[in-house]
Amino acid sequence: MSGHHDHSHGHGDHGHDLPFWRKYIFSVDHKVIGCQYTFTALLFLFFGFTLMMIMRWQLAYPGQPIPFIGKYLSDDIAADGVLVGDGYNAFGAMHGTIMVFLAIVPLGVGGFGNYILPLQIGAPDMAFPKLNMASYWVYFCGGVTMIASFFIKGGAAASGWTSYPPLSVFASSGQTMWLWGMVLLITSSLLGSVNFIVTTVQMRVKGLSFFRLPFFVWAQLVTSFLLLLAFPPLEAAGVLQLMDRLAGTSFFMPSGLVYATEPQNQLAGGGSPLLWQHLFWFLAHPEVYVLILPAMGIVSEIIATNTRKPLWGYKSLVYSAIFLGFMSFIVWAHHMFMTGMGTTLSTFFQATTMIISVPSVIILTCLILSLYGASIRFNVPMLFALAFLPMFAIGGLTGLPLGLTASDIHLHDTYYVIGHFHYVVAPGTIFAIFAGIYYWFPKVTGRKMSEFLGKLHFWPSFLFINAVFMPMFFQGMAGLLRRQYDQTEQLHGAVAHGLTKMSSYGAWLLAIAQLPFIINFFYSMFAGKKVGANPWESTTLEWAAPSPPPHGNFDKTPVVYCGPYEYSVPGKSKDYCPQHVAQEA
Amino acid sequence: MNLLLASTQYGSWTPPLYSDHGGSIDKLVDVIHVFMFVIFIPWAIFFGYCLLNFRARPGHKASYLPIKAKVSKYAEVAVAVFEAFLLLGMSMPVWAEYKNNPPASDQRLDIRVVSQQFQWNFHYAGPDGKFGPTNIKLVSASNPIGLVEDDAAAADDIVRVNECHLPVDKPIYMRLTSMDVIHSFDFPTMRVKQDAIPGMEIPIWFRVDKSATTDAIRPQMKMTVPMAKAEWYKIRHHVAAVDHKVKDEVVLAKGADLGVDLKKGNELLDQLRKKGLAELTLEPRNPLEIVCAQLCGNSHFKMKAQVMTHTEDEFKKWVAESSKKQKLETDF
Repeated sequence: MSGHHDHSHGHGDHGHDLPFWRKYIFSVDHKVIGCQYTFTALLFLFFGFTLMMIMRWQLAYPGQPIPFIGKYLSDDIAADGVLVGDGYNAFGAMHGTIMVFLAIVPLGVGGFGNYILPLQIGAPDMAFPKLNMASYWVYFCGGVTMIASFFIKGGAAASGWTSYPPLSVFASSGQTMWLWGMVLLITSSLLGSVNFIVTTVQMRVKGLSFFRLPFFVWAQLVTSFLLLLAFPPLEAAGVLQLMDRLAGTSFFMPSGLVYATEPQNQLAGGGSPLLWQHLFWFLAHPEVYVLILPAMGIVSEIIATNTRKPLWGYKSLVYSAIFLGFMSFIVWAHHMFMTGMGTTLSTFFQATTMIISVPSVIILTCLILSLYGASIRFNVPMLFALAFLPMFAIGGLTGLPLGLTASDIHLHDTYYVIGHFHYVVAPGTIFAIFAGIYYWFPKVTGRKMSEFLGKLHFWPSFLFINAVFMPMFFQGMAGLLRRQYDQTEQLHGAVAHGLTKMSSYGAWLLAIAQLPFIINFFYSMFAGKKVGANPWESTTLEWAAPSPPPHGNFDKTPVVYCGPYEYSVPGKSKDYCPQHVAQEA
Repeated sequence: MNLLLASTQYGSWTPPLYSDHGGSIDKLVDVIHVFMFVIFIPWAIFFGYCLLNFRARPGHKASYLPIKAKVSKYAEVAVAVFEAFLLLGMSMPVWAEYKNNPPASDQRLDIRVVSQQFQWNFHYAGPDGKFGPTNIKLVSASNPIGLVEDDAAAADDIVRVNECHLPVDKPIYMRLTSMDVIHSFDFPTMRVKQDAIPGMEIPIWFRVDKSATTDAIRPQMKMTVPMAKAEWYKIRHHVAAVDHKVKDEVVLAKGADLGVDLKKGNELLDQLRKKGLAELTLEPRNPLEIVCAQLCGNSHFKMKAQVMTHTEDEFKKWVAESSKKQKLETDF
């Protein structure tokens, strides 16, 4: 193992001379930007979770004052400590928005993608470092805009993360802030995606052909194309909705509206509320794969390293990811089966929805077959990566009854939907993100996180996250609808109230289970066990750079001699052959 | 698992079903879930086997070569074939039936459903079978759909707010729209769900089972709750199904409510516990509800209509009486 490195190197000749604010704040180094993304997004993740914990109080104990923090919330949100309907809806809309656009995507793409991708292809930085910096700061401004909207009159956007008009157009000015925030976030993603694509195509080191790329890089590449092609329609739609709100246009507003018994004096009318839904879901379905593909990439890296054997069906994984990306553009209207869709359109969209499950099944199959004949190391990153597999399987399987129109009649907009996509994104993607943090922490800091605290984080989290989401399938089956401020107001919600409480307790215990992680994260940063460049004895290029990698990344530009997962090659003395080490014939 | 299911106490899986098309929806839901377990359980067993058998330990080495697994290919093909079956054999025919064959116009009952924040307005044509025209300028709290009441066709029309009367065993044809924002018409016990969108009028149709009058359903949904587990939130929409007695004294009369709010409800439950009542026998105050499934504003959760299902004769009687009343009180 090449553990010790001299810090003088060829590329980063200006890396040490920059003032603090250029080095750590307005940095153009992909690693600093990756860390900025990760820190900011982890804070948003925590904030989004907090909103949900407050909502879960209202659901478990409707109409009762929120303990501890209720009295500190403004009257727009909680009157006399009791969450009000508008406050609940604002928290719900912002939970969704924050988790998707400010936490998970920035972690998976902005954080891991930025930090790891250039290292894995042997590049000294991204192709456009300044664009990269701009991408983070535009994201940051989008986040600030979203948070600021809580403090304006009328509170934050409260029309769901989907912001369906006409509700969103009639809504208070928090919605305008939401739209500005979204325009910034989308712009940030576009800047990032262009950068990722160019970097991957242009900056691979010698010998690193496309089919020698780690699967993580493939996942990021496909994700970038999704961001590049799917986000602009929503950016346009966001601007149109802004115009409906601010300029009196009626892109999404039909004629003959009566709001609170007042006929609306629109200049034109004639707009279509469904147009927004098409534009929104044309983004938001590929967005689902933007959430899941980086997670699959992370999990694949960790499984390959900790099974000590090559991934099963590397090419199947790659082709499946590409096919998944392509298909994700033609399934969007399965979110809209209840909008009055006839048989022709629904036939197409439920057929494509069934087809898109095939590549997902292949990816999952490849990963689980990789375990056969392995020598599995159960370290903390591996535990999280392994947990991803059954959780994602549950999330995927429960998508079936939602993707078929007939069963969707009963399950549409129920807690079944909530359970389904949270299984994909929470114990799925978020577990993969935790796996990635534990796995690459030594690369970023030069120190390892505590295994003990890690396991103390993993096992309770695994238990409680299932306690949160498993009851939702049964609630959905009973017909309990989502986005209900007081679920017991309806007969079928009242009878399912026991399960609602179980979910709530699960969520609060899940929060406590994150304490070991927070302690571990900061403790290990300063006092964790020091490690060398390649503590996991892994093969891909990021482990060829020192830990932490200096500005410019590599002491010597590596050359790649083999595929990404050459573990346990017969006849070798070590059970791994790094990509940058030439093998004797 | 049984414990979880039982705690919903509202059917053990999907809600009770009272429409003739709903059976095929439930069947599809059931088949998919059986299919999920058929996939997931062997998958999980294999997963567990790998974790145990291929754990790192002294003397154990990973093999470089991949397993030559034909099983996985067969499994993938089987999954794809079964999905095709679900799609072509079940979902598409059910959806086509749900969407493509509206009942003939002379055999059905037409109802206009005009939704608004946060109420369902039901507009019946009355005995003449003709809907009166509407005008949005006439909309007011007392005329929620803006019915042009001077018009001859409107004279016998019936408009009801959050109250829906339906005959059993007769095709019902509803035309859904909205005046303000998008709502979603959700009638879970009939397996009917359809968005109501401003600027669009979307038809739906279904038929209530012959035996499913409200009066017949209510006792079927009877449940007993031990006092120790009685929680107001869970039973707030229920009434006493029988006279509850402690030592020959009636402590809770048949039909009695369990308190309109949390405080009163809890007080009542405390009193009953003190008197030594062991369990409650309850039935829903109104077993059939239409609710809103699409977020429509701060009181979205409260948007619901009570449904009364009647025999054909009872329904005719209701129409006759209600349309007469409409004529007498023109300002409604």
